[in-house]
Amino acid sequence: MKNRLSRRNFLKSSFLSSSVMVMSGCSLFSITTPQETLRVLEDDLFPKAKALGINTSSYLHIVFHHSRISKAEKTYLKNGVKWLNEEAVKLHKTTYVKLLSTQREEVLQNFAKTAWGEDYLADVMNYLFEAMLGDPIYGGNTKEAGWKWLNFEGGQPRPKERYV
Amino acid sequence: MYDVCIIGSGAGGAPIAYELANAGFKVVVLEKGANYTEKDFNKDELAVSRRDMFTPPLSEQKHIINEYAPDGSFTRYDGEKSGWNFWNGSLVGGSSNLMSGYFHRLKPNDFKLKSVYGEIAGANVLDWAISYEELEPFYDKVEKIVGVSGKIVAHKHQEPRSSLTFPYPELQTNGVTKWFDNACEVLGYESIPTPRAVLSQDALKRNSCYYSNFCGSYGCASGAKGSARAALLQKCDAKIITDAFVYRLESDAKRVTKAYYYTKLGFAHSIEAKIFVVAAQAIESSRLLLNSKNKFFPQGLANSSGEVGKNLIFSAGGSGQGRFVFEKLTQTQQKELMTTGLFFNRSLQDWYEYEAEGKKYKGGTIDFLFEHQNIIPRVKREMYDEEGKLLWGEALATKIHKTLTTSRVLTFEVFNDWLPTNNCSVGVDEKTKDKYGVPVGVINLNGHPHDLAVGEHLAKKAVKVLEKMGAVEISYNISSAPPPNLVAGGCRFGEDAKTSVLDKNCKAHDLENLYVSDASFMPTGGSVPYTWTIYANSFRVAEVIKKELRA
Repeated sequence: MKNRLSRRNFLKSSFLSSSVMVMSGCSLFSITTPQETLRVLEDDLFPKAKALGINTSSYLHIVFHHSRISKAEKTYLKNGVKWLNEEAVKLHKTTYVKLLSTQREEVLQNFAKTAWGEDYLADVMNYLFEAMLGDPIYGGNTKEAGWKWLNFEGGQPRPKERYV
Repeated sequence: MYDVCIIGSGAGGAPIAYELANAGFKVVVLEKGANYTEKDFNKDELAVSRRDMFTPPLSEQKHIINEYAPDGSFTRYDGEKSGWNFWNGSLVGGSSNLMSGYFHRLKPNDFKLKSVYGEIAGANVLDWAISYEELEPFYDKVEKIVGVSGKIVAHKHQEPRSSLTFPYPELQTNGVTKWFDNACEVLGYESIPTPRAVLSQDALKRNSCYYSNFCGSYGCASGAKGSARAALLQKCDAKIITDAFVYRLESDAKRVTKAYYYTKLGFAHSIEAKIFVVAAQAIESSRLLLNSKNKFFPQGLANSSGEVGKNLIFSAGGSGQGRFVFEKLTQTQQKELMTTGLFFNRSLQDWYEYEAEGKKYKGGTIDFLFEHQNIIPRVKREMYDEEGKLLWGEALATKIHKTLTTSRVLTFEVFNDWLPTNNCSVGVDEKTKDKYGVPVGVINLNGHPHDLAVGEHLAKKAVKVLEKMGAVEISYNISSAPPPNLVAGGCRFGEDAKTSVLDKNCKAHDLENLYVSDASFMPTGGSVPYTWTIYANSFRVAEVIKKELRA
């Protein structure tokens, strides 16, 4: 049993930390991970979440390994990390997380000019809001901070276990 | 051998299980989903509303959807690839666990649409095989056994009732309903307290509503909601086999002999019974009959008429909304507006029938309710500015906070007849299989233009109320998009075995011991949500089966 759990934990951590190859034209420019980019991207898209103490990165682990989120959706989330970084390389010759905040904002503005770029950012925010406003049992909405910010009271009874 | 085998445990099947089991007959119910009780239900928005925990994953079970255009061409959608989901609730008690419980009866003219309103070109309108008067005692029975709360007020389309009042008083309502009632009075509209299949007090060995603020889409943790499980299945000793997907019915020339089902792990089993009742919800009931074709019924079981799957209907109409903002309200009104938990519960039926340009039209019902309290979609809706451009950062945070803390949306839902047409039906796709290896259902969708015209007429009336109440950002959308949870037809009942699948008692014309007791029997749908009528008709069919078993 211990080995099986370890194996499962390894798989859980591996998807978020898997390699994303960032290309510049036809050449490999750099390698990053979904975890590294999404952590910074989420802070840029909705800094209020961090200010409220919302743990968005722990919720991303749930998203990437949820039985009811399709493989296509998970792949899309991962591919978007590549697209965003390639936009960063195109504009500033380095990956997204290595940019100054003003430069990252410029990348986001450019990225969102295309429908697919805007859709991707909306998708990332979708999961960010799930982390921030879902039941605290999922680990994101710490001390109901997201709910309290909006004067929202969750429904009763609350879940006793996560549905994953 | 069982006396009765029922396929599906929702509102169509449970009344028969309840009546027959309590009359001493041996009843088995085969339910595809799992069993949940009051102790299991909670208000986990992520699980229930965003991860669809009560419906099958589309990667395992889906439909093929052909959406017809007015010129007769169609676009094919794969349910898995498109995300178009027609499942409503696979659990003991079916989707009645998840309903809001807006309970309206049909009205006498709904039973004779063709006679009263005449033919409509391109629509297969028929009168029902029974009258309102024949169903009325069973509507009454549902009020008492399932439990309906409300208050009868006189209005011009009030249907005849054998009981003067509802057995349970109306649920508590939000102060904003007073604004609504006042607006209606000024406009000359008749505001009706919406009857609900929700107990307003402890009764029927169930607890009262506790105003959780999360009713529709969620299971009820107190048992107040009149789900088929809480109200009926938990009060009889019918044997319920869960995780049992019935994939085929076996028959000889006259009788169904066995129901075959797969367990969750894919093992095949069979059940023998004297009488079989199909109540898997309209689309799946037709699919099961079509997938049960044999040498006696090469077109599908009970399908000598070729009518199985035909004339599928939904509820036509749409929805709309208006927003109340603090800037236009007094402090007292602001407080009333933001009080959560209490229901809105107001309906309009002034235009259940109306005249326009000298012609009499069948209209419908408008229900008003506060926007669902699920917070994630309410926040997500703020992600775009007025020009539709994505926002982020501080600008988005400010917009979200202001909208959610200083305003609230009142919505309305329009229910009018979805006219049955040739291009709205159920079939099966022999090449596309579900996880069990069974051909999936094909849903052919077609909306009649008449439905849109009636929906528009009703929506404009609702808009007037919102305007009079002082709402802003008023909008509505009437379309031919089918609400998956409001589905009926596919196995019409009627007197003629050549043009209908079922007789007036919902027994298959072709077989001696097969009944279909969900909404499949309905030749037209009326202009209200279906659940009360499904319950009532199932109680009616239960009486017929009881007599047959006793004979």
